[in-house]
Parts: sequence; structure tokens; C-alpha cells
Amino acid sequence: MKLAGHYAVPMGRERAYELLQNPGVLARAMPGCDHLALIAPDEYEMRMKMVISSIQGLFAGKVRIADRNWPESFRLIVEGSGKVGFMKGDGVLRLSPADAGTEVRYEGDVQVGGMIASVGQRLLDTTSRFLIRKFFEKLVAEAGGELPQAAPATQA
Amino acid sequence: MIPQDFEYSAPTSLEEALALVGGGAKVLAGGMSLIPLMKLRLATPEHLVDIRRVPGLNGIRQAADGIHIGAMTTHYEIESSTVLRAHCPLLAETASHIGDVQVRNVGTIGGSIAHCDPAADYPAALFALESQVRLARAGGERTLGFGDFLVDTFTTALEPGEIVTEVIVPAESSHAGVSYQKMQQPASGFALVGAAVRITRANGGAGFVRVGITGLASKAYRATEVENILESTGDIDKAAAAVADGVEANSDLNASAGYRSQMARVYTARALRAALARTS
Repeated sequence: MKLAGHYAVPMGRERAYELLQNPGVLARAMPGCDHLALIAPDEYEMRMKMVISSIQGLFAGKVRIADRNWPESFRLIVEGSGKVGFMKGDGVLRLSPADAGTEVRYEGDVQVGGMIASVGQRLLDTTSRFLIRKFFEKLVAEAGGELPQAAPATQA
Repeated sequence: MIPQDFEYSAPTSLEEALALVGGGAKVLAGGMSLIPLMKLRLATPEHLVDIRRVPGLNGIRQAADGIHIGAMTTHYEIESSTVLRAHCPLLAETASHIGDVQVRNVGTIGGSIAHCDPAADYPAALFALESQVRLARAGGERTLGFGDFLVDTFTTALEPGEIVTEVIVPAESSHAGVSYQKMQQPASGFALVGAAVRITRANGGAGFVRVGITGLASKAYRATEVENILESTGDIDKAAAAVADGVEANSDLNASAGYRSQMARVYTARALRAALARTS
């Protein structure tokens, strides 16, 4: 599954880049993450407890950061597995200056397998984007900034 | 598969149910979504509180401020209710589109909205109806507009320890026209897109218009842009064309984002036409 999108964060590009690589901040911003530890240069071990609706899944995996190009882009490689399934993601985040701060564009490929994928197919896209949105909202809160308007899902 | 072991309680009072839910138990309100997830062991609650026997959570009654529908009222009861058919036909019509007859006989409106599937049918109608949801917790209750209740994909404003007790919809003027048009996934019956519309006629055209959309985005929404265009210009196609504007559409095996957006325009136009034709 391809995932792409963008999110505006109300902070300078250097600051956004730095936050996106700060393990403490990432651990708090990733939905359900309860453990993130450095195990090698640019490589982290993580544990997440995902709760979406009635579904609860415990995932253990790794996060790796590569191809750093400060402060414009970096590559994020994530893999995790648990009882309900597994996921692998590989994507590039690009940061560009925008009106009220920085626009973060992400583009990548995500593979989800196991039980969760076979029964939850129709919801993978929606749920992935929901989790990414939550991640950025928390990231902004971590930075002490105002919550920005998310990419509009309503016309209200 | 057989679900993981769990404890089961079937309290006979709301206080008892709220105490159990406050202690971390999961509400079973029909179980048409929860039980399949448990059988796949994707959901593994340790304690279920079946609220079927709690008095006062079932039934449809008319009051001065609207029609009150108990959380445990089944989709079939809503679909076949003479009160709703006469005074809130949009909700009855929408309920008749849910799943299949077995699901409609067991699944409940409270269970459905608390589960908050982004492709569920009710939210389209509940947005168009500007409905309200009443929630209870130990020692209190609160009432939220549906737009405040529905937060995001599978996420509602329900706090731990709270349960949905009823949904309140307005009694419709007998001159209003309503319609729910849905493009459904053939196997699951879930809405790839669904459009719920209420219209009253004024000066030969559309006067008051309310539009709710489900299935298109990560959550259902009220399409105020469509309402405004139709109310001001009377042009159905122009109004329906705006339904997906600014919306990040879902994409899955059944429908890409572009296709879904286009189908939202088509089904919104159909719903607007059908509703307008039913006005008097």
C-alpha cells in the first residue's frame, strides 16, 4: 500500500527536523509507543500498543533512520510484528518552508500482513492516515506549538 | 475461531452497568462488530458487560425536543418503527440499508455509533439530522451534538466509564423530503460512499438542505458546502459536485480515492434528486 500526504507544523524547518529525529519526542508522539531505545547508530528498538476501536495489538519492532539530508529530508524504515499481524514501512519525509512554518511531506510504501490485513483490508488506508495525523498532532504538542489545522477531513 | 476466555456480566440496572464499565469492562451492545473481532482474536477483552437487560435503554419515544431512541434499539426496530417512519423517515430508511436482516435484528444504534466504523451507515443520517447523543457515566450524564460525539476513525468522545444511552433526532416536517443513497461493498454491505439528504421546499426550489456523507473520508461529515450551494442556487449538479472538495478520500481495494470521490458526487446528486422529488 502506498501512503503519501503532508502536514503543516508551525515551527521552523531546522526545529521540525530536529524533533523528528529526537527519540524521546518520537516515543511520545507515536501512538501507543511505550518503549523506544537506541540499539545501534540510527537504529531503535520499539514497542507499541495499538488500540483502535475494539482491536488491541502489541507490536515489537525496529525503526531505522537513513539517508539524512539536513534539514530537507530523511528516510524512515519501520518494521514491527505482533500476534495480530506484521507491518513493514519504508518512506521518505521531506521538509520544506511554508507560510506558517514547515510543511512535512511523506511518501512511502507500507506492507501489512497477517490477520489484521486479511480482515481489515478496507480500513488499512483510513487507519494508517489516522495514526499519522495523530503522530503529527502530538509532535506539534511536544514542540509546544499551537495545534495546526489538519488536512481537512470535513467541510465544517 | 473461539474467542479468548472472558468474563461476562449482564447487569439489570444502569448503575450496575456503569460501575462495571467504569472498572474497565467492555460494553457488548449487540456485538455485530465486536464478536467477529473477538472470534478472530483481534479483540481480546477480559470482561464484557452485556447491556441488553438494562431497563430504559431500549425503545423509541416521542418528546417535545425530538424523538428519543434508546441505545439498545436494534436497526430492525428503527427501520420498522411507525413513529420514525412517520416523523423521521431518513433514519428508518438508513437503518434498512445496514448489513443484512440477521445483523439488523441484533445490532443496535448505540453499539454502531460507539464502534464508529468510518463506513457505517448511521453517521450520514445522524449528521443530516443534526442529531444529539446522550452519554451516561457513574454520577452524571451529558448530551453532545453528533459532530462533537464523532471524533475520528473508530474514535468517539466517549470517555472511559461512559456509555451511550440514547440518540435524539428531530421530528421532521411532513413536507420534508429525505433520501439515503448508498453504494455498497457487495459482500460486507458497508458503504463505499453513502449520502443522506433532508430537504424542505421553498419558492418551488430547495429551501432547507442538510447533507451527511459517510464512507468517503476517515470520518463521516456534514457537507455544508453542498447545502449552501443548493440553498443559494438550486443547482443540484453544481451542489453535488462540491461534496468531496477539501476532503481526503479513502482508498482501498474496492475503490480508489478518485473513484470514491466521483461516486460521492454521483450518489449525492441522486440523493438530492430523490429527496427533492419527495417534498411536498
